[in-house]
Amino acid sequence: MTDRILPPSTGMAELERELEHQEPGHVDPGTVAGAAGGVVGAGAAPTARGARKWRLYLRRFVRNRMAVVGVVVFVAIALLGIVGPLISDYTYDEVDFLAINDPPGGDHWLGTTGAGNDLFAQLTHGIQRSLLIGLVVSLATTLIAAFVGAIAAYVGGWVERAILEVIHFLLIVPSFLILALVSNDVNGDWRMLIVVLALFGWMYYARIVWTMALSVREREFVAAARYMGLGPWAVVRRHIVPNIGSMLTIYFTLGVVTTIQAETGLSFLGFGVKEPDTSLGALIGEGSSLVYSAPWMFWFPAITLTLLTVSMAFIADGLRDALDPTSQAGGRA
Amino acid sequence: MIKYLARRMLTWVLMIFLATNLTYLLASAFLNPRANYLARNPRPPEASINATLDLYNLNDQTPLFTRWKEWITGIVTSWDWGSSPTGGSVNAEVAGRIWVSAEFVLLATVLSTLIGVGVGVYAASRQYRPADRISQQVSVVTLNIPTPVMATVAVAAGIWFNKQLGKTVLFVSGSESIGVQGFFPTLLDAARHLALPTATIVICGYAGYHFLQRSLLLDNIKADYVRTARAKGLSTATAIRRHALPMSFIPVATSVAFSIPGIFTGAVIAETIFGWEGMGRYFVTTISQSDIHGVVAVAAFGALVTALGAVLSDVVVATLDPRVRVS
Repeated sequence: MTDRILPPSTGMAELERELEHQEPGHVDPGTVAGAAGGVVGAGAAPTARGARKWRLYLRRFVRNRMAVVGVVVFVAIALLGIVGPLISDYTYDEVDFLAINDPPGGDHWLGTTGAGNDLFAQLTHGIQRSLLIGLVVSLATTLIAAFVGAIAAYVGGWVERAILEVIHFLLIVPSFLILALVSNDVNGDWRMLIVVLALFGWMYYARIVWTMALSVREREFVAAARYMGLGPWAVVRRHIVPNIGSMLTIYFTLGVVTTIQAETGLSFLGFGVKEPDTSLGALIGEGSSLVYSAPWMFWFPAITLTLLTVSMAFIADGLRDALDPTSQAGGRA
Repeated sequence: MIKYLARRMLTWVLMIFLATNLTYLLASAFLNPRANYLARNPRPPEASINATLDLYNLNDQTPLFTRWKEWITGIVTSWDWGSSPTGGSVNAEVAGRIWVSAEFVLLATVLSTLIGVGVGVYAASRQYRPADRISQQVSVVTLNIPTPVMATVAVAAGIWFNKQLGKTVLFVSGSESIGVQGFFPTLLDAARHLALPTATIVICGYAGYHFLQRSLLLDNIKADYVRTARAKGLSTATAIRRHALPMSFIPVATSVAFSIPGIFTGAVIAETIFGWEGMGRYFVTTISQSDIHGVVAVAAFGALVTALGAVLSDVVVATLDPRVRVS
């Protein structure tokens, strides 16, 4: 992480600029977008430096071959999810009474389910659903974790103790059970499922962010910002969170996997996405008891889901090699 | 050390108590036992539904606090965890299931920790060599295979394996066979049932320990105290085994407690697929039948297993960490 933490002088210059040009509470897109690269200010020189930095990241990422394979597989699955419903002759909730439990081939490319739904249409819709839930929830949990963890570390005192106690407690509560309780109640509405998953998914990452923010807190530019009169919220938002941005990127990617896994578990047991809507987990739940009588109903969604989660994990691995300067898995620079 | 452990245990008892009560409140808010009766055809009269619900302390027209008081008094005074909306005793349901799941969850936890730590140590001592890189890639794959997929594949593999041998060696459904007697036959029977579900959970779960142990051990190998040990004449292997390994294992042991809820989640899915009548299955049935008291019992069980794991890891930490051991 060290090369992303700014030398104090740069931090001060940036701070002065901010103090000059910004009202409190104004979100500077540059600061937020610069999350992965510390602070990328205005002006020609920083832009050139930024471009070089991205080339370096790319070179380090590409050196991890599995990560590149992961990107290819992930993009292929995402495209299938986006394009699939457009080219399919059937919609996911359409029932073909003349083709119930048909094996793959002919009119229905991947066969049909026991209810007569076209599996290809359901599969592509399921990819869309699972991916959307995964991305949105992971974005939300990463943000919550970043701010809760960073505030705990920066403010300290009883606030820190209280937040850590809450995190500790929520980690022990059987959260999957509470998830199941609540998501069962929203009756398969995927938007509510997103809210529920986000509410119970941030604790673990918040604890990690807390430990990372503890060391950033001691840096000179944070002290400088504090002595210049910046409030705790502004310090956390402008100086602490951007400096752990590379880690947050990695945890975002891993969070997508975690969320898709949780959603799969819930939908598999019948507490998540419910009919007529469908997700990869719901499809696997339907197919897992039919491995012998209707193997296509299990294997197609199962292989898609596994490829999706595994490819995301390899992407996260590659991101770690690219963004984390202490990682030397791919050699130097 | 005894005092340290006693204090930790007290904290855990408090945690279990809080978690159980929180689940009671949430379950009362989100589950509606009345629905079980409203769905009946012909629908029973309002008064008789109320009378039945009152009998089981599940009537949503009674204030929540009154219901909670009766429920908690029942547990504290007579260890009575209440009844389901249809009158079945939660105690009776849980009694048989608890052992089925406990052996399963604890065995899976112990095995995945041992395997994960073993692989982690092996990989760390061969950093960036082929063995390290290959085990890394394999672990990334296994860690990210969704449990329902892994469990179903395990069932398919088990059936295939049995077919190849021409007889049933590994059972793919149920937790025990009927009519097995004697100590060793029972043990063998349990092993034949446990093999596939445990393998599922272990394969999906060991990799977390692998990554953690590997990175911690690598950090510790480079630490000053290991160099000191080397300078005093210990061989590299001994210095690592006696100094770096115990220190790097402490955070791993702590993380075991936090991973138990995840293993329990895996157990819920595995029990569903392998047809075990344990706490995991009970979890699914109670939620779908709006059985508030049953759900709470499952939550209490989950918190209890977590606490047991935490106390075990505390014992390990206390014996390994000189700072705790001495004071």
